[in-house]
Amino acid sequence: MNVAGPARSRPSSSSSSDANSKRGHHGHAADGGSSSLVDMYLDVPSFELSLDEFEEYALARLKVLRKIEEMKTRNLPPDLFRSQLDASIKSNLRSNDIVDVASHFILRAAYCRNEDLRRWFLTQECILFRHRLESVSRGGGGSRGGGGNNGGGGHHDELRDFLARNDFDLDRVSAADKERLRDKLLSVPGTNPVEFNVAEYYRVPFVQALELVGRRECYVADGNAYVPLPRVVSIVAAKFRSSLSRSLASAGGIFRQAVSRDERARIGPLLSSMNSQYTGPSGGAGSSAAYGIDGEEGAPTAANVDELASRSMPLCMRQLHRGLQRDHKLKHQGRLQYGLFLKGAGMSLEEHTLFFQREFAKIMTGEQFNKQYAYSIRHMHGKEGKRATYTPGAEHHGCPYRHYDDASLSALLGLLKIGNAVDRDAIMAHKRDGNFQLACSRHFEAVHPGATSLEGVNLDGVGNHPNAWFSASVSYHNAKSGKGGATGGSKNVVKAEGVA
Amino acid sequence: MGAATDAVDDDEREFGAEDDVVPAVKSNNDVDYDDADADARRDAPRSSSSSSSSSATTSVVYSPELLGVYYSRLFPYDLLHSWLSYDPSSINPGNGKVVTPAKASSSSSSSSSSSYSSSSLSSSSTFPRREFSMTIEPTPGSEVYIRYQSFSSREDLAAAVMRRRPTKLDIGAVFNHPPKDNKSLPAGKLQTVERELVFDVDLTDYDEVRNCGCAGADICPKCWTYMGMAMGVMDAGLRRDFGFRHLAWFYSGRRGVHCWVCDESARMLTNEARSAVASYFEVNLGSDKNKGFNLSAPLHPALARAYEILEPRFVDSVLPEDGHGLLATRASWTRLLLTLPKAAHPVASRLEERWGRSPGRDATPREKWRELKSELASFVGGRGGGAKAPKTLSSSDRVRIEMWPVETVFRQTYPRLDINVSKMQNHLLKSPFCVHPKTGRVCVPIDADDFDSFDPFAVPTLASLVRELDEYEARGGGGNDANADGGVVHDWQKTSLRGPFERYRKKVLIPLLNDERRSAREERERRAAVVGDF
Ligand SMILES: [Zn+2]
Repeated sequence: MNVAGPARSRPSSSSSSDANSKRGHHGHAADGGSSSLVDMYLDVPSFELSLDEFEEYALARLKVLRKIEEMKTRNLPPDLFRSQLDASIKSNLRSNDIVDVASHFILRAAYCRNEDLRRWFLTQECILFRHRLESVSRGGGGSRGGGGNNGGGGHHDELRDFLARNDFDLDRVSAADKERLRDKLLSVPGTNPVEFNVAEYYRVPFVQALELVGRRECYVADGNAYVPLPRVVSIVAAKFRSSLSRSLASAGGIFRQAVSRDERARIGPLLSSMNSQYTGPSGGAGSSAAYGIDGEEGAPTAANVDELASRSMPLCMRQLHRGLQRDHKLKHQGRLQYGLFLKGAGMSLEEHTLFFQREFAKIMTGEQFNKQYAYSIRHMHGKEGKRATYTPGAEHHGCPYRHYDDASLSALLGLLKIGNAVDRDAIMAHKRDGNFQLACSRHFEAVHPGATSLEGVNLDGVGNHPNAWFSASVSYHNAKSGKGGATGGSKNVVKAEGVA
Repeated sequence: MGAATDAVDDDEREFGAEDDVVPAVKSNNDVDYDDADADARRDAPRSSSSSSSSSATTSVVYSPELLGVYYSRLFPYDLLHSWLSYDPSSINPGNGKVVTPAKASSSSSSSSSSSYSSSSLSSSSTFPRREFSMTIEPTPGSEVYIRYQSFSSREDLAAAVMRRRPTKLDIGAVFNHPPKDNKSLPAGKLQTVERELVFDVDLTDYDEVRNCGCAGADICPKCWTYMGMAMGVMDAGLRRDFGFRHLAWFYSGRRGVHCWVCDESARMLTNEARSAVASYFEVNLGSDKNKGFNLSAPLHPALARAYEILEPRFVDSVLPEDGHGLLATRASWTRLLLTLPKAAHPVASRLEERWGRSPGRDATPREKWRELKSELASFVGGRGGGAKAPKTLSSSDRVRIEMWPVETVFRQTYPRLDINVSKMQNHLLKSPFCVHPKTGRVCVPIDADDFDSFDPFAVPTLASLVRELDEYEARGGGGNDANADGGVVHDWQKTSLRGPFERYRKKVLIPLLNDERRSAREERERRAAVVGDF
């Protein structure tokens, strides 16, 4: 896959045109006229994307996957689950092959980095895949193209096409074998004797048909399960899972093959922050900054950011700030995280640039800075490119509570003079119990006494999101100093929208 | 246990089959026991005299002293180690004998002992990464359960077992690192890699169908027949349906049996696959008689085969007076006829009446069963002779009546698995060759060609074994010289363990290791990929 710069100028590389020819029958054409409704995503696709499209597609899929996760958590009844998922697919992935395939591979690359991410991605993708496959075998819509099929039995053709297209090595049971096994196959519960005569049977290793095996819903012999075509769904889903599971383990390698080094340098940071991208309140289409400060007052500027850091930032962001002050630079990941946090906190592009320039200028020339960093800051603010607007992440890495050992954390809390000894003990206790969010909330309580009783201070999400922490702190201090807290109508009040 | 063991702590209290052991006192210090200390505590309150012959003359079948003799002289460390190492070189290719330490050093360079030197993943043998756990009694009556033991070699295992004299030895999974290192590994780092697929059948789960009067841990020859039937059904299903070839069956030492499926493909199964296989064999027999137990028709091929296996044995050993007496007395057949579906009550009344008087009364249980089945068949078939079914017999009533004989046989005899044992790679199960502390009997291998004739009451006890050893030596039969007496190399060959142990070696271990030898490395990787997952 090629990721072109903003000007969409990069020609296809030779490595990807290989993949392209292999994949021609999938019809990833811009006109989206493909009939392929479900994709195993077995080959890396080849097409050009602008950096903005790259990001936009990925976030679109992320919304669908997070919707799945949320619905699973809420344990929705199957009907509702299906209809809501269809709606989410339709509004986010639209009826476009490119968005679907590209976003799958982008997220695959973004989520292959560690086991937690892989597991999360695998879980949601498998549910999505199964949902689409079931839609196809039911002959319903809800899949990529939305092209339903209502002809009786016609959907089996679609399923068969799909199997053939994906080189499914299901072993077709010959007519002679089927006849020989007639009594056995007919003895499987749910087998219709009339349909049996026209049914196609497939032989698969039993480990690929575990659901059917576990319910004794197939004939099993010599390590193989015998499965009629419609029931192949459950097998295909299992196979998708194991193939995706394996690819995720080597996705980094595949990605390096398909994307040139220059491109990697540009999209690397994007990929590594993808999982912490905020996609807005779950279920909603909007992705506006949920914890943003409305207006300039209380928003960080280059001038007040140092003060705000010690007053209103949670430990993780405070550490990034201290790192920036100390080293006058931050690594990709940190720059992105801290930048998104500041943007989410309401820092403007100009102030953001000014602030970073000020720090970086201590170790490089202004020209170097402009060349290397200004673009990414502008990009973060959505100026360099079309729609993309980063919103701060909900799951950030580098949480000191999680990643520091006891001694280092304890030393840090003392160094920063956070709370009193009792507070620090309580924070340490949460840390030791693995309750990192409680530790973070406890830090907030320690330095914002009486926050719960102040009107206009929204404490939701304080332990979950650095921006929630920050805006709660800002509104706390505003309320304390009498700046509009009491009426709740001032423009400094935190937007509650999307704070779960 | 430390934080490093989070991933595997779930099963910590699940002991495997023999759960009549008082739940062990779990101590955070378990693993840190100073060995000398443990020995001192164990030995202190007891007489240090352990003359084996004097113990053997009493009726005691089990004692710590006898156990000490067993572990130091009879326990087949080499059989256990060869198996769990899955290392073909631990079997001498020439004669199929298990390599003894002395021979190992003089045989080929790829002898078994050379593979112990490394305890890393690169070791060809899985043995050093296998979890063992031990139940020990530091003082009488107090039990300590020690998890995450692992041993680099057979000698290591033997030394630890002899030193600690565990009342129970459990076998867990093969991990990615030697489990004994778990404390030095980062949290979550220790993960299971492979594990035999195991099954556990226990007579305590048969109480409601044990009309012999046994309950709980008791067994008698009458109810033991259920175990033979269970093994027959499971063995056939695992081999024919799932294609497994290397099944090792063992007596659990008291009232049940264990099956270890050792095929490589079985060892690599995910927990999900294990659950599926276990569920495949599970039939919900309903808690109360007949309630919630409806088999669908037609019968799944696996259940149809189970019925073919079970029904003749049901007729032979469940129906008669000297079995569980299901059709032996008027009261019992009345009770059985009452379980017929309502729609078949005409058949019940007819038979009740016929069997109430001569000559019907004098028919054997086997004849009565045959008569009952044929009455039911003609009832639903509408053929003349017997009671006539109303024309309005619904198809569901028809199915219920047709399935009734199967349901009856299954309720009585279908294997009642403890499937939780089978579902997790990480579940511990009592090691074969152990001794049950309540019975003193050895967990001997059971010959898969002859399940029905396995007699748990003929299994040697610690006391009988020590007596046999004494008698053998009193006869002056050959010491440790292999050439002197029919190839006796091991002390267990001087006792009645010789038969079952050697049959196990010949029929289970050697074919298994030969297959391991044949299986190419690529094959291993391919299969792992098929079932692979995170
Ligand atoms: Zn009994």
